[in-house]
Amino acid sequence: MKYLILMYGSQQDYNEMAGQPAPGQPSWTPEDFAAMGAFMESFGKDLTDSGELIDAQGLIAPVHTRRIRLRDGLPVVTDGPYAETEEVLAGFWLVDCESFDRATEIAARLTGCPGPDHVRDRAYVDVRPVADSQEDLGV
Amino acid sequence: MAGTGAEDLLRGLAPQVLGALVRRFGHFDLAEDAVQEALLAAAAQWPADGIPNSPKAWLITVGSRRLTDLLRSEQARRRREEAAARQVPPGDWTAPAADAGPDGRDDTLILLFLCCHPALPPASQIALTLRAVGGLTTAEIGRAFLVPEATMTRRISRAKQQIAASGLPFALPPGPARPERLAAVLHVLYLIFTEGYSATSGPSLTRQDLSAEAIRLARLTHRLLPADGEAAGLLALMLLTDARRPARTGPGGELVPLEDQDRTRWNAGQIAEGVALISAALAAGEPGPYQLQAAIAAVHDEAPSYEQTDWPQIEALYTLLLRISDNPVVALNHAVAVAMSKDPKSGLGLLPPIAADPRMARDHRVTAVRAHLLELDGNPDAARAAYRAAARQATSLPQQRYLNARASRLERS
Repeated sequence: MKYLILMYGSQQDYNEMAGQPAPGQPSWTPEDFAAMGAFMESFGKDLTDSGELIDAQGLIAPVHTRRIRLRDGLPVVTDGPYAETEEVLAGFWLVDCESFDRATEIAARLTGCPGPDHVRDRAYVDVRPVADSQEDLGV
Repeated sequence: MAGTGAEDLLRGLAPQVLGALVRRFGHFDLAEDAVQEALLAAAAQWPADGIPNSPKAWLITVGSRRLTDLLRSEQARRRREEAAARQVPPGDWTAPAADAGPDGRDDTLILLFLCCHPALPPASQIALTLRAVGGLTTAEIGRAFLVPEATMTRRISRAKQQIAASGLPFALPPGPARPERLAAVLHVLYLIFTEGYSATSGPSLTRQDLSAEAIRLARLTHRLLPADGEAAGLLALMLLTDARRPARTGPGGELVPLEDQDRTRWNAGQIAEGVALISAALAAGEPGPYQLQAAIAAVHDEAPSYEQTDWPQIEALYTLLLRISDNPVVALNHAVAVAMSKDPKSGLGLLPPIAADPRMARDHRVTAVRAHLLELDGNPDAARAAYRAAARQATSLPQQRYLNARASRLERS
């Protein structure tokens, strides 16, 4: 069964990681980055070894987003639709594992990801079951 | 930066980095600013820290960061103004975007096509090409075209906005449109070269920097499109014309015509390179106008003297050129070649329809050629009057001085 583990972040989070924290917020230190890198590497390696990882990707800062929607019958593109503090998708892991509980267990490991305290306090991940077929979606 | 090696490296990479950023993120106008800032950062850091292992990747990384910053402040400003910038995309907009491609991809060519888009007026095409592909600063471009920097800044930002607003996809023009679009690119490079080679106004006849820049860009275009005969022809034409520059003006800045030039001062290396280029291009297929002009320049450059020039060959080449380009200046040069290969009267007989062409109405060249051919025909009085008339029509001071000197010479004899 396939599950998507979703990680969120705001433009502000990206700014902090780029060394441009908002006023009053601490910045990431080189040690924070090194610890996060080591954690993510071992997380990915374990999932690869167990054969559960299908794909994992991280996304570029939300400021680069293009939103496309219909306006007066025409597709219209809007650049950068998010506010700086709006939390949006930042990365995902697509896993294939035996149960929702196993997927949850995997996702829960991500709460152990090192980082500055204020980032760890507000961070969260979601796990969502992936539809096996179109029938699952009733179409 | 002290080392011109690093400077050349940066200028060569600038369009590739800009191309990579626009391909990946869009935002041509902001990306251009981001690349300029990345180049400045490189100029400040590399001399102290050394050139990174992959300079292009370094510039793309720094440029991406700067682009993110610029986008953030732009989007913040836009939100304050409560005006969402929206654009209606072209029909193929939602097709999968070409993401960062195979390593080493050079987007310079796409950038050239973008800067020379037919929707932009020629002055903007030229300015944008020099800035985005040539890596010249706005101040340098303004100086080269004798306009204030503020004017050039406005011209370039307007051009960038037009491109951003047009929603043009960042891709090579589709197959059927490509020959026409390439012709526009080559024409812009040609205009930059001629602007540098014969300034239309001002005290100095050549602005070498612009010619050198045009040659550099033509070399780049030829490298990106090695199979295109006209790209090769244009580069050859520039090299073969520019080779005569050292002999083209005298010590006082006066214009020295081809027949009086000291041919030992011509640049032999550039001639050899131009001749090799045009020979290879001509052997490959049907020649276009740049190849024919280059072939003519090559015949001149290889002649030991004006008199010993292979004039029948030049006449034949101009006849071919006339067939594919309706251009009164070509017709005028053809008339000179006819005069030289047959006799002056045959050349003079070709002038009336050229003089009647409205495109030559305020141009001194028809009158100057008539003066020259009358002189060759042994008619000094008529020649002198024609030289004086041509001097009154000419706009550049060196040209006026040259034509008046020819007239005076006929008075003394």
